[in-house]
Amino acid sequence: MLKQEINDLLTQTGPGTPMGEMFRQYWLPAMLAEELPENDCPPVRVKLLSERLIAFRDSEGRYGLMDEFCAHRGVSLWFGRNEEGGLRCSYHGWKYDVTGQAIEIPSEPDERHSALCAKIKLKSYPMVKIGGVLWAYLGDQAKTPDLPQWEFARVPAEQSFTSKRWQECNWLQALEGGIDSSHVSWLHSDGLKSDPLFKGAQGNKYNLADRKPFFEVVESEGGLMIGVRRNAEEGHYYWRITPWVMPSFTMIPPRGDHPIHGHFWIPIDDENCWVFTYDYHPTRALTETEVQHMQDGKGVHNEFVPGTFRPLQNKDNDYMMDRAAQKRGDTYSGVKGISMQDASLQESMGPIVDRTKERLVSTDSGIIMARRKLWRAVEALRDEGITPPGVDVAHQEVRSAAVVLPADQSFIEGCADALRVRPGEKHASV
Amino acid sequence: MSVPDTAARWHPTLLSSCALATTAAEARYRVNAPEFTRRSSRVIALDGESARIVRELGGRSWGGGHFLVFESAVPDDALLRHSGTEGTGTEGTGSGGTALLSEELAGADTVVMIASAGANAEAASVIGDAAAARGIMSAGLVLPGGDSVNEVVSALRPNAMVLVVLRDAADVPEVLSALRV
Repeated sequence: MLKQEINDLLTQTGPGTPMGEMFRQYWLPAMLAEELPENDCPPVRVKLLSERLIAFRDSEGRYGLMDEFCAHRGVSLWFGRNEEGGLRCSYHGWKYDVTGQAIEIPSEPDERHSALCAKIKLKSYPMVKIGGVLWAYLGDQAKTPDLPQWEFARVPAEQSFTSKRWQECNWLQALEGGIDSSHVSWLHSDGLKSDPLFKGAQGNKYNLADRKPFFEVVESEGGLMIGVRRNAEEGHYYWRITPWVMPSFTMIPPRGDHPIHGHFWIPIDDENCWVFTYDYHPTRALTETEVQHMQDGKGVHNEFVPGTFRPLQNKDNDYMMDRAAQKRGDTYSGVKGISMQDASLQESMGPIVDRTKERLVSTDSGIIMARRKLWRAVEALRDEGITPPGVDVAHQEVRSAAVVLPADQSFIEGCADALRVRPGEKHASV
Repeated sequence: MSVPDTAARWHPTLLSSCALATTAAEARYRVNAPEFTRRSSRVIALDGESARIVRELGGRSWGGGHFLVFESAVPDDALLRHSGTEGTGTEGTGSGGTALLSEELAGADTVVMIASAGANAEAASVIGDAAAARGIMSAGLVLPGGDSVNEVVSALRPNAMVLVVLRDAADVPEVLSALRV
């Protein structure tokens, strides 16, 4: 349960809001790199943190992310021409470089041209390509943090795959699904048996045999480590440990030698978010079969309405609910696929769930602590200017883990190394 | 992906009959009934430091939770001391009075143990076992305490379905509020 004012504080991310200011401390996934595949390719409309922006890649391969609308008459620059080192408005030919600086105003006399251009600059943000993702920083340029170090984005390209999808609800309820480990044994119980990116791991047997797990939530420098333990062989527990790094990064514990996967939830506006979903393997290239499965929407990915980032299963078709499959036990909820099982339920809560009415139980402690940490960090930034956790790249060097430990060993002790990035070393997984 | 037969045959008639009814405008039609039965929580301090916090919390207004301090184990039971103040949610049990664990658990649906360095494993075991025997959800909040935290966690682990290791004791009331103690 949250008071309404705290719910508002955590869910509103537009310019000038406290949580919006906190999101603006981080490099955020803004787009997939494939959306701007070559120099002078078509520009792309991007909405992030309730700001309408235009993204483009100029003739020299530089990325631009700036106010979508021309300073002249407010025309969308999506209709513009991306050519010769800048984006030119189709209406009167005003042209901007990747920093938003006006570089041509054709209608102005030559003698006034330079002076007028110098005075016109659209709001712009830096955007860089790391891995398969374009990362943007929407904060104070004087405080630009170090570039992101997430392992999935730093391994060689052939070891990583990222997709993105539109989710039609506030970012926080989507994130909360990612750290709510207790729903997995129910909602996703079918996936452990059948999904090609999950099945076959020894750990799945522990998952399926013990549906009443115990939880341990431990605060970390960057956020939380959420450990879930189930019974394993005599005197041992099977632990699955999920890191959450502020504000919205999670990594799902691995299964066998399958790639590791996770999400970033990025606010589009207060009622929509992007879900960036990554899969990577720390020590080997993804196989063609694995990549094909990911493109086909298996694992934690999904299928799309062709040519869009909207999931094929969506509100318009009731997520293709299949009651027969539900009855047969093929799926628990009747919705197919891990990601859409989550999205369908999270979207059903409404665009921004009313947390004053919820009835949390102790197994929701991960969610409770995540909210508390966000709340604390937002206030510390607002009131004292303290940089929030997760900005420091050291906080980003985390891994999830799935291990069997002696019953008397804490996962923090037993997995101290496993929960850190170790370049060239495999992830801890059973 | 092919459209399942069931989805193809049946089309929702009203907006509120389908998943499109998740707009803010439709949210006003949600049933606005009063909160269901009040939760009945027991918050139990296991040691001196956590007792100080529980005593302070017990003086605030809560939703019906009892704030208690573990005193000692007695045969097949334990002696607890009330930390609440009359009229602030402890349902008539004045601050300083004692009760048996078995009596307190009779009407409880959640037990939250609060522990810091020095928490005794016996207390956690007695309370955890009693809660488990009655099918009551048990949780543990571990206060910050340096290197000894691991020992406290080890003591609580067998006896609490959920353990939260805190870095700031100021989070205790927020966690309890979220649980509607």
